Amino acid sequence: MNRYYLYLILLNMLINVIMFVPKILIEYRYNGAVMGTLIAIPIGFSLNVLFTKAITKFPEKGFPEIFARSRKRWIINLLFGIISFAAFTAGLISLLGFVDILRRFVNPEMSFMYLLSVFLAGILLITKLSTERVMYLLEIVLFLNTPLILFIIFKAFTSDYLVWDSILEVGTHLFTKPSLKAIAAASYIFAGYTNLIIFNRIIKGKIKGWNFIMVFFLGLFNLFTTFFIPIGFHGSDGAQEYLYPWISTSDSLRLVYSPIERVIFLFLIFYMGITLMSVSVHWHLSYELIKGTYKESKKKDWAVLAVFACISVACALFFHTLLLNKITVHWMLSRFGLEIIVVGLFYIWARRQKT
Amino acid sequence: MRTIGNWRIYGLVFSAVFLLSGCGFKDIDKRLFVVSIGVDLAKNSSKKYLISLKFAIPSASKDQPNEFSIVSEKADSMSEAVRILKTKVDKEIDFSHAKVIILSEEVVKTSGNAGIYYWFPRRRDVQGIAWVAIGKPTAQDVLNVKPKSEQLPSNAIFLALGKDGSETPYIIPSLLFDFKYRLIERGIDPILPIIEAQKQIFEINSVGLFNKSHMILHLAPEETKMLNFLKSKEEKSAIKLTKGKTTVVIDTQQVKAKYKIHTPKGKDPYIKFEVSVKGRLEETNRRVTNNQLSGYEKAAEKSLNKEFEDLLVKIQKADVDPLGFGIRYRSRHFNNDDWQQWKRIYPKITFKVVTKVKITDTGLIE
Repeated sequence: MNRYYLYLILLNMLINVIMFVPKILIEYRYNGAVMGTLIAIPIGFSLNVLFTKAITKFPEKGFPEIFARSRKRWIINLLFGIISFAAFTAGLISLLGFVDILRRFVNPEMSFMYLLSVFLAGILLITKLSTERVMYLLEIVLFLNTPLILFIIFKAFTSDYLVWDSILEVGTHLFTKPSLKAIAAASYIFAGYTNLIIFNRIIKGKIKGWNFIMVFFLGLFNLFTTFFIPIGFHGSDGAQEYLYPWISTSDSLRLVYSPIERVIFLFLIFYMGITLMSVSVHWHLSYELIKGTYKESKKKDWAVLAVFACISVACALFFHTLLLNKITVHWMLSRFGLEIIVVGLFYIWARRQKT
Repeated sequence: MRTIGNWRIYGLVFSAVFLLSGCGFKDIDKRLFVVSIGVDLAKNSSKKYLISLKFAIPSASKDQPNEFSIVSEKADSMSEAVRILKTKVDKEIDFSHAKVIILSEEVVKTSGNAGIYYWFPRRRDVQGIAWVAIGKPTAQDVLNVKPKSEQLPSNAIFLALGKDGSETPYIIPSLLFDFKYRLIERGIDPILPIIEAQKQIFEINSVGLFNKSHMILHLAPEETKMLNFLKSKEEKSAIKLTKGKTTVVIDTQQVKAKYKIHTPKGKDPYIKFEVSVKGRLEETNRRVTNNQLSGYEKAAEKSLNKEFEDLLVKIQKADVDPLGFGIRYRSRHFNNDDWQQWKRIYPKITFKVVTKVKITDTGLIE
């Protein structure tokens, strides 16, 4: 098993809670989310396998190195720009979403900008590190947080208040026409492989079949948890009323003998680290891709980071939660399309290359 | 040298963060913590509700840790009441420790209180795991009770409802998120425990059953216990039964209940309940030997079957569904109009209860 590869995938699986994936899926629960999820699993999984197979033909090389000797610079630059924009917005959505959650649940009196700038300072610091170091940091954060998040999920599964009948009721809407939005949102779970665009630099050797089996089952479990656990707690009719289904679900759990009885605060603390790393990984990818479009220059590097910070502040001023939610739906759709195009093109291109 | 230069810049960026004006973090000594919330109907007033908040008063000495104060306000809505209550106290009102919400019997018996019920889950600072209960005679009376054994304000209710303290089959606790879930979900209706305030103690041994808007049915303590058995949430209990002239009490160790909805074609639909009870004999007014136990098992099965069926029919007649038969039916049928079908089926469905009682022994002596 290649653990770095699995970390990247796991990170996306964990962050989907902040990325409005449960909200989108639950919204379409009677209108094709169940079928959509089932369709998204093979699509997301096969995209994952295709891309990983293709990029591991170039061991220890990211996109900038692979395309370094390419002649048609402008096509490459355009491609890098688009991917980099997608990765940047992915990070931005989870950042704004999480800052909003923090402000709502932890300290409503704190100003949005203050929280955002604390996060931005940390994230930009990590973004600028070398790819290897980002990976090490990711390992530490996942190592500290994942077992505890798994514990919370375990508590949710064994709770007395989880009503399986409600979950099954949504399951009976299996045969409705699948909704494209639900497919796009559900396939996000598997989208962690896109980080390989840069992080392939530190992945040595081939990725064996074991990893894919792990990814498949992790994804299956993750989709089920994301989609159905909030329904089990808040009802097939009631779950869609919640703005953040999973945050409210964590507030429905009680740890009787723990020092903190309300699970929501533990959940938020764990997710603080996960969000920080997720945004950093996405932005690192985005930053490194942009760096690949020009010759080495310190000034330009800083300019890119400054632009990142400015855009986030501007978006924070402009977006509120509902608008962010709406935009995320469209973002998911475009991401889904882009992913298919990029993976398809790259796979064909990589097959033609002599290795 | 290069890295040191980098760190200087980061230092600058970080220090800029501290220049930003953060406002409003209030210290703990400038907050008043609400431990329980009471909702009554206002009397002799143009306003609709009487909202009472019970604040825990932190005291310097350890001798009087359970001091509290109750502040009330009449208003037409919850948020209005809270805004006005803020003017009555000197500190910021903090709801993050509000763990019990008490609705008075009058409130739950009238419909049209959805605004109040929804206010709690809508607020981000009210816990989803707060308990909801019905207060009798009024919510204010329940808040005012101060049991001698209580160490912190309202802690007695927390312990009783949370089953951390006493464990009894007469309490069916309800959490706020679950209450909201049951208010919305088609096919399962809320159950709230009723807390009766007496002079220095509470009595929690009955429940109120709701439909989607208000309380319909009040269950007596024995019925509450039966309902708890059917939910298979409570194991430690006692069942009393008479056979001939002997009265025996069975101390149960295990109660399991499961049911299935049968809708055979052309025949009347029925719900088949299977309840298994395992326990030992605890008290008897005549001598019972171990050989006679199977006879008592039969008698217990017969009387339990009757009691369960009576309770289920009573619930059905009131057209409420606290056990979630409706959601079970919906979850087993793939068609889209299953809810409409169920609404036609439920009033005429019959119940068949099969109880299996196992009395293991007669305790230490025969």
